[in-house]
Amino acid sequence: MQPFAYERPRRVEDATALLMQRGARVLAGGTDLIAQLKEGRRTASIVVDVKAIPEMVAIARGPDGGWRIGAAASIRALGGHAGLMAEHGALVQSARLIGSLQIQSRATLGGNVCNAAPSADAVPLLVALGATGEIAGPGGRRTLPVEDMAQSPGRVSLAPGEILVSIHLPARGTRSGAYYLRFTPRREMDIAIAGSGVSVTMAADGTIADARIVLASVGPTPVRCRAAEAFLAGRAADDQTIRDAARMAAGEAKPISDTRGSADYRRHLADVLTRRALSAALMDAEQRKAAA
Amino acid sequence: MSDGQATGEPVPATRIIGQRVPRIDGGERVTGRAIYAGDLVRPGLLIGAVKRSPHAHARILAIDTSRALALKGVKAVVTAKDFPTIVPGTIIPFGETGADLWVAATIAMARDTVLWVGQPVAAVAAVDAHVAEEALALIDVTYRALPAVISMADALADGAPALHPQHKAKGFDAGATIPPNAGARTLIERGDTAVALANAAATAEIAVDVDTGHQGYIEPHVCVAEADPQGNVTIWASTQGAHQTESQVAGILGLAQSKLKVVPLEIGGGFGGKITTHVEPLAARLAQIAGRPVKMTMSRAEMLAGGSGPPAGARIRMKVGAERDGRLTAIDGHYLVDTGGIPGTATTLLMQASTACYQTPTIRLEGMDVVTNKPRTEAYRGPGGIQAAFAVEQVMDELSLNLGMDPLAFRRKNAAVTGSVMPVGTPFPSIGLTTILDRVAGHPCWTEPLAAGALPRGRGLALGYWRGTSMTSAAQITISGDGRVAVVMGTVDISGTRTTMAQVAAEQLELEVDDVAVVMGDTKASAYSDAAAGSRVGRTMAAAVVDACQDALAQLRRRAAERLQAPEAGVSYARGVFHATGGALAGSISIGELMRQTLSDGAVIGRGVSTKLPFGVEVGAHVVDVEVDPETGRVEILRYTAFQDVGRALNPTAVEGQMQGSVVQGLGWALTEAIDYGADGRVRNASMLDFRMPTALDVPAIDCVIIETPVPGVPYGLRGVGEMPIVPVAAAVANAVRRAIGVRLTKMPMTPERIVGALAARGTS
Amino acid sequence: MTSIVRSEVNGEARDGIADPRDTLLVYLRDRLGLTGTKEGCSNGNCGTCTVLMNGAPVCACLVLAQEADGARITTIEGVADGNTLHPVQAALIEHGGTQCGFCTPGIVLSAISLLGENLSPDEHEIRHAIAGNICRCTGYDKIVHAIAVAAERMRAPGGTP
Repeated sequence: MQPFAYERPRRVEDATALLMQRGARVLAGGTDLIAQLKEGRRTASIVVDVKAIPEMVAIARGPDGGWRIGAAASIRALGGHAGLMAEHGALVQSARLIGSLQIQSRATLGGNVCNAAPSADAVPLLVALGATGEIAGPGGRRTLPVEDMAQSPGRVSLAPGEILVSIHLPARGTRSGAYYLRFTPRREMDIAIAGSGVSVTMAADGTIADARIVLASVGPTPVRCRAAEAFLAGRAADDQTIRDAARMAAGEAKPISDTRGSADYRRHLADVLTRRALSAALMDAEQRKAAA
Repeated sequence: MSDGQATGEPVPATRIIGQRVPRIDGGERVTGRAIYAGDLVRPGLLIGAVKRSPHAHARILAIDTSRALALKGVKAVVTAKDFPTIVPGTIIPFGETGADLWVAATIAMARDTVLWVGQPVAAVAAVDAHVAEEALALIDVTYRALPAVISMADALADGAPALHPQHKAKGFDAGATIPPNAGARTLIERGDTAVALANAAATAEIAVDVDTGHQGYIEPHVCVAEADPQGNVTIWASTQGAHQTESQVAGILGLAQSKLKVVPLEIGGGFGGKITTHVEPLAARLAQIAGRPVKMTMSRAEMLAGGSGPPAGARIRMKVGAERDGRLTAIDGHYLVDTGGIPGTATTLLMQASTACYQTPTIRLEGMDVVTNKPRTEAYRGPGGIQAAFAVEQVMDELSLNLGMDPLAFRRKNAAVTGSVMPVGTPFPSIGLTTILDRVAGHPCWTEPLAAGALPRGRGLALGYWRGTSMTSAAQITISGDGRVAVVMGTVDISGTRTTMAQVAAEQLELEVDDVAVVMGDTKASAYSDAAAGSRVGRTMAAAVVDACQDALAQLRRRAAERLQAPEAGVSYARGVFHATGGALAGSISIGELMRQTLSDGAVIGRGVSTKLPFGVEVGAHVVDVEVDPETGRVEILRYTAFQDVGRALNPTAVEGQMQGSVVQGLGWALTEAIDYGADGRVRNASMLDFRMPTALDVPAIDCVIIETPVPGVPYGLRGVGEMPIVPVAAAVANAVRRAIGVRLTKMPMTPERIVGALAARGTS
Repeated sequence: MTSIVRSEVNGEARDGIADPRDTLLVYLRDRLGLTGTKEGCSNGNCGTCTVLMNGAPVCACLVLAQEADGARITTIEGVADGNTLHPVQAALIEHGGTQCGFCTPGIVLSAISLLGENLSPDEHEIRHAIAGNICRCTGYDKIVHAIAVAAERMRAPGGTP
């Protein structure tokens, strides 16, 4: 490992100032960064630990009824937040697929987004649920849909000095449901060969008003399946529709072959997982409607 | 005739043998106080690191270490030039056949040619790990890349580059065409299988491919080496055999064994992978040059990518035939074993193991190890057994299907029994296979119907066999002034040996476990013993301890007779007390009192050496229920029951621990574990993330059924325990999957992708 | 380059010097001499180096020593009260839950973390709690059983240490 300095700022502005330095890296949970530094896959001249910045670890409801999740809040903290769990259980559960419990004590939503791994388990539902990132930089703050964060494996749309401060989740509608399903050879401690995150909103007449499907591990970045989504809009959620949509989504995947799986297998899994995730998301919406 | 009757010896009553005695060294393990080699700190300790080949096959043209040596904090750099040249066929003592030191030397450091990615080419010692890492980057190695053969098919192809042109492949008929990269050929043949197969009422055949796996010990290879100004070298090691580490390192360094002491510390798992030395010779040489102690630890990535010796991949073809009534008539098998970069991985044991459970009038088994540009493979728990069983137990299952016979009844009909002919042509020593099969037949895991589920389910059965070895073990016991006992073992403790040997000594001396201390001796304080491998230590160390106890007891009896002024023949011993009858001073004296009175007469040292024990044939049967998701290919293990004849369970908790651990290791290789070599020979999954060993959530509880058919001529009738239970696992799962989804899996591991692929292939064929 | 890390380790205030590159694992083992925490993979994939940081289980190999400044750390050395074992430790010995012992410290800490939140775990919950700890010797069976036994003892009156 190359030598680096360690800093733990208490304010976002201090962090962004440090991040202007060449070779500066954000340290949130560290579960990706430290492993990458050890393996020489990334280098750092200065590591900026952002966990001492209060707004970056806070989880709170925003004025619009949505949620504001500090980018450096641990997955363990998300799981321990009853309100967030009640409203966005599917998202939190998707984050709780990351690594082991030990990893979840450290890993963060912001890290999952900014590490920009195609396999990031929490990202598909963040995208499907329309989450946006609040980004701070030397020039002030801006927001960006999480969907637009990942550029390519390991690269996000952040300029030098910029940092993802928090993630905003819109309030959940009463007729909406979500589900993320991934496939790994082991039950836990594994990386998705493919994953599918689905969110749906039902119309009053029981048809699908809006659906979003986002696939993991089948492209350089999470894959939004717009054709399948358009197909679903306005249709009744019957088995054939679900099957057709899943097949269309798999057709939108752009998988590669590597040690974890072949492109064909990944595409096949995208189909299977989307069908199952879509059914589960629809059931989630039903249950929520019933409970409301 | 059941085997239980055949061997017939009543199990002798015991007081402590057979008890679930908790590990006597458990306290230090659960508190973090147990000392492993990586925990050791010595004054002035340096950290060593290894420069490894990035090429699968290349000529080393030059190595320039000057830049590394010039780096501040670097204390020594070594290459092959710093070690004597060792030629093939340099045999050092090990087990019944000896070991070729050239293999260990080549694994430790490449000389002129690198044969696999990850083979060491240089090593450094520096003041800390950061400097050592930096120094590695400053070593300049000039290679000329050579054509590499990664798969066995490539290695055997016409015109393939021969990796060891000087190597003479043994076992081929005169005039036969020897393929390039053949290691050695082995043939076991009895009767005419071709005729028998042609006449068989039913046949079945299979061809399987098994990927290279890994032992997966959690403690990486690690040692600390130190050399003193008079040339004495000490190595604190994580090893399965301190004496083997000594003989290998001494040989590789050209050091007199009087100048080398190996101190075995706790070993965090070995499973066969810590018999051959890896970092130890390098650390010792660096320590000699630097004049300071050196610690060397392999990283997990190094271990998985060429630094350690993985178990061999294999390609096995089998064809078997039977009469209409199910009686086997022929077994024909062809075994290719991927030995990696150095020839010499024996195929004999696995060939025998694969068919030993069956009686057959004709048999033809042909095996060969094949040299490839991959790490030299090493042992892993019943080496070759799980690979071989993956073929034979599937083909037998298929034959039973073709015959329309129940798979258990088919196996019962053909099961080897005591006295039946072994594959090698000699009569079977005591084997309790039919007893096991009868137990399976009556067990709920077999009699209870498999409940239907939402997904397809199936039940699989497979048999396993492992011969195990004897080799030699030595123990000495001494008696302290209060009559308590110390046992010094020449073997290390990798599976609770301290505890089981305390039980043996307590049983023999009619004392309590708390009266016995057991230590692993270093190589200067203990007598030569072979490695803790081959399912042998429990048996042969027990035999040595029994002898040592009896030797000590004879000495004690003599002293007691003197003290009690009784004829020796009139002194009896029970529960720690000598009783004299017929002497002048009829009476009794306890061991404690006797030793208090006579310690100054000289120490009591009991000596025990065991060798060439009768085979402790291990057999077992596994029954597994699986559920398969045909869409994703996931196999869920619903229930697993392992039956094993252990002769006598020294400690049932320890036996179950061996069985359960074996099964879960087997499940790992069966379903998810494989080293993924790219076309360039580089490992693509050198992490514990992508080399997927089972977690606690991936496996169910493993039920164990222990059967005890004692082996004549062995203390307590002990059989080997630790290796057999990995052998049937993958085949049992494959047979269950076959019954769940109707497809035979011929590639191991049976990954989800392969299962989906096999289903798709059936759909399109 | 180095700086001082001040933390509470096993209930005692400990100051130590760390290079920014030192992980908590290296710091605990090499700087504080707490070698009970073992290194199995160095990348968070085996759980062997599990310690509790502010009560939560973490892989010490993926935490920088500097991050532990101000934190409360529990290692295996801080689990037993002198030679009075924690029920998890005692049960692991009694029920054969430790073989080579290398993964055992991490297993103990994961189990304690579980039982701190749930004293009545079912088998699945126990397996989930130790799924981040790879054991290659035991097949997990006896570990799972031992943790269940420990939980039962801790549920008894006065059973929680």
